[in-house]
Formats: sequence, structure tokens, C-alpha cells
Amino acid sequence: MSSFRKALKSNQRNHQERSQPGFRKHLGFLEKKKDYKLRADNYHKKQNTLTALRKKAAEKNPDEFYYKMISTQLKDGVHMKKKKREEEVEVTEEQRKIMRTQDIKYVEMKRVAEAKKIERLKSELHLLDAEGKQKNKHTFFMDTRREVREFDLARHLNTAPELLDRVYNRPTLATLEGCSLQGATRPSELKKLARQRRHQYKILSQRVEREKRMFVVGQKIQVRKDLLDKTKKLKVKKETATTPAVYKFEAKRKR
Amino acid sequence: MRPGFSPRGGGGGRGFRGGGGRGGFGDRGGFGDRGGFGDRGGRGGFRGGRGGGGGFRSPSGEGGFRGRGGGRGGRGGRGAGRGGFRGGRKVTVEPHRHEGVFICRGKEDALVTKNMVVGESVYGEKRMNVEEGETKIEYRAWNPFRSKLAAAILGGVDQIHIKPGAKVMYLGAASGTTVSHVSDIVGPEGLVYAVEFSHRSGRDLLNVAKKRTNIIPIIEDARHPHKYRMLVGMVDVIFADVAQPDQTRIVALNAHNFLKNGGHFVISIKANCIDSTAAPEAVFAAEVKKMSSENMKPQEQLTLEPYERDHAVVVGIYRPPPKQKK
Repeated sequence: MSSFRKALKSNQRNHQERSQPGFRKHLGFLEKKKDYKLRADNYHKKQNTLTALRKKAAEKNPDEFYYKMISTQLKDGVHMKKKKREEEVEVTEEQRKIMRTQDIKYVEMKRVAEAKKIERLKSELHLLDAEGKQKNKHTFFMDTRREVREFDLARHLNTAPELLDRVYNRPTLATLEGCSLQGATRPSELKKLARQRRHQYKILSQRVEREKRMFVVGQKIQVRKDLLDKTKKLKVKKETATTPAVYKFEAKRKR
Repeated sequence: MRPGFSPRGGGGGRGFRGGGGRGGFGDRGGFGDRGGFGDRGGRGGFRGGRGGGGGFRSPSGEGGFRGRGGGRGGRGGRGAGRGGFRGGRKVTVEPHRHEGVFICRGKEDALVTKNMVVGESVYGEKRMNVEEGETKIEYRAWNPFRSKLAAAILGGVDQIHIKPGAKVMYLGAASGTTVSHVSDIVGPEGLVYAVEFSHRSGRDLLNVAKKRTNIIPIIEDARHPHKYRMLVGMVDVIFADVAQPDQTRIVALNAHNFLKNGGHFVISIKANCIDSTAAPEAVFAAEVKKMSSENMKPQEQLTLEPYERDHAVVVGIYRPPPKQKK
């Protein structure tokens, strides 16, 4: 019976909600139950929050006290703990220098680790058809002017003219005829591999970028450390995003 | 079906959709199997971890399930990975313009040579396996950032003249990293005379030569070819990467002694090592001129960007046969 009822339903005309008729357009958007529901839920949520807050304020204990109330303060909108008097230990010059040295060493260690990873990635990613790589220069030496005039690159290299731009591999005609690809050749496989390859290149470029930044950071810390030195110095160049500041130190004879 | 019968309600329609959905899922499972575990599976294979064995039975579908089945056997991860170890699926190997050299494109994007000593890396380079039917072939990545020859090949050099069966003299062999690839290219029929002066890197070179019988290591100064003349026969090609100011003279000396008439030379020039004050182009031009005066006729010159800065490779012919007049 129920299946019959269901089958009957399929015969029914679909119910379609009407929108605002044209002659009532000036009244605006015709609200439906689901629109009302959204609006009402939103309104009630706000109202509930307000009531809750009001209630909390009304029931507040004016004598409430926590020690954090006096040990913290707002600093640039962030709740920070106030420093205790005893904690403000004077760091000596010597200690500061050591701290800087440790910082430098840490950054340097991280940089070297990054450089090693780059090296490993580069050993299997050879920028075969990477875009925007530096162009090299290929010169052929000829005996006579006539040979130069009649020079045809595809014929000289014995390859197909379409392959001329594919610098990393321009198979000879014999190779093209005789040999074939090995391994994955299905388009779906190739697509997947290409995606993975792109990802690897992305990782490589990110690591190169990071290594560069770490180098700059290391140099900047070094300069700060050098500045702790008491000798007279003169600023030659300002610090920029990619280079540390340059100072000229007074030459001093050391014995 | 009656007209006006919506496809949603129809029993037949639903059946069809269901079937399609299942098919799609199966496909996806197949890809996941190959891609997701591929790398791990490969390494497991080298260490000899033959987990599960499930990988061999695998058709493309249901990858996830078999992975779990292997887990029951003990080393789950490896077992599932074996599916990926059918290395051929992970890389495409295309033959290169130069015989014996290949391009390997998978997750890696590399110039490779066929490994003569299967299962061994010379300097920690990556190896890739390709299974072609029954035979398994191993390739070794050849880093153009370290090898000038590899950089020249990827730069599109016309001829390297180093091919299977060739006899090659390699001046400036260093630790034998590039030499090992040259020995891969020339194969068991060919020979590589690797000359290196430094004892320290010569030691590594000897170790490479122990595994590869077609390398003859010579720890001597290439400026004095008469010291090793009794070891070396006539060669077809001289490759030089000596980075000395009198590099061309060194190559010429060796060419006069060992290179056959009409043989070829491939010289890598580092502009800084010859004259650090002059412009690189001027240095290359001067070197090319020097070669011409030594009976070595340059045929092409190639700079090595983006792999090396201010480097060039010059390829040429020694004592070319006279041209026939038409």
C-alpha cells in the first residue's frame, strides 16, 4: 500500500514556492518560514546573551578579589603579568654577549640543516623544464660563412623541430624511432606524478627562501653582538629587510 | 517507465546510479594505493623488508583493504607499501639524446644513468627502479649541480661523444662521482681512464674503481702524461675538468699522447680559475683560440647556467680528417 502511495506522489505536481509578485514589489522581499526562522534564531540568541550578561552584572559581588587583579596589567590590549621587583636582575654585558652568541649559533645550526635539505632535494630535482630559469648560451663553430648562412638548428642536432625548445632532452631522430618510454605512461599516472613533482618543487623553493631569511637573521644578530663592543663606531649603512646595518669601527691597536 | 516518472523515484534509475558510484570508488582506491604508500614501499624494498607479499597480487582496486590485511601479518606498513614498490609505476624513464643517459620523471625530475653495479650508490645519490616485464633496471640520479658534464647534457649540448663502448680519458676525476656515471654510460665494453692528482680524493676514486671494472684509476699529475703512458691505450674521447690556468695545455698534452686522430675532447672551463679579472666570455674565447693552435678544433661551446655560474663546456675534434672536396 505504501509503495502505491509513493508511486502516486510521483504523479503529483511539485510544490513550488512563489516569490513576491510584481505588483507587490514595493513591499520588498517576501519572507518565508525558513527566512523568518533564521532571523528569529539570531534575534533570540542575542537576547539570551544580553540577559545572561545583565544577570551576571546584577549578581556581581563588589568585594570580589583575586591576586591576579593586582599582579597583571593590560599592555597594548594584551593581559600581561607584571614583573616582580626581585626578578629584574641586571644582565651583565658579558652575559648579554654570550646570549647573542648562543642565538647566532642556533640560527646558524638551523640554517645549515636547511641547506642540507636543499642539497638533498636538488640532487633529484634538476629543474628540467622549470619556468624562468636562467638561459644558457650555446655556440656552434663553423668553418665557412656559407655554413653559417645555411645553419639549421634542427638539422644540425638531427632532431625534430618541435623538440628544439625542450633543451634538457632533444632525442635524435633515430632515438625517437627506436626507443620507447619505460615505466608509468598512462595519462592518469602521469598527471599524478606531475602533481607530486610540482609539490616537490614548491617545497624546494620554500626551503631556499627560508635558508636565505635565516642567513639574514644570523647576520643581523651578529651585528647587534658586535655593537656591544665599546670601540667607537660609525654607521655607514642602514639596516634593510635583506641586509644588516653596516658600521665602521675605529681602528684600534691591540697588543 | 511512465512518462513524467521522475528518475529519483524509479527503481531502475536508482540501481544505475548506485553502480556508477561504486565503480568510481574502486578507481579512487587504486590510485591511493599506488600514490600514498609508494615512497615508503620503495625504501622498504631496499632494506629487504618483504612484508605481507600482498603487493604483488594487487589489481588496481581495494588498496586500503589489503594494506590492513598485511598489518595482521606483523609489519603492516611495509606490507601495504609493497604495492608501490613495483617501481615502474612511480617514474617514467625516457631515453636521452645521448646514448646511455636517461631522463627520469616521477616525484623526482632527474637526469639518470643505468646503474652498472645494481644496489649501490657511489656518493649517496638516489636510485630508481623500473620493472620492465621480468627485468628490473636500476637508475642512478646524476646531479647537474655537482657534475659539469651533467649540466652540459641538460643544457642541450649536441654531442658528448661518450657512448656505450667508448674509451674515455677523464682528467680531473676527483672523488669519482662523475666518473661513476661515465662508467655507467660506456658500460662493460668501454673503458674510463680516470686521472687525478690529489691522493685524498684519489682514495675515493680507488674505491669507486674497485666496484667498477671499466674504470682505470691513475693517481698522477695530468701535466706529465709520460708517467702513465704505459697504462693508457688510444682513447676516443678526452673529458677534462681540471680547473687549472694551463688547462688547455694539459688537455693538448694528453691528446697528443693518447687521443686518436679524429677523436674528440670535452673541456669544462671555469672562467675564474683561468683569469679571475677578465670577463668570462673573453676567457672562453681565449681558451677556444688556444685550442685551435694545438690542433684541437672546437665545434661547440655551451655555458652552464643555471647549474654553474661562469662555466662553459667546449666540445671539439682533435686532428679532424681533411674535408673531401666536392
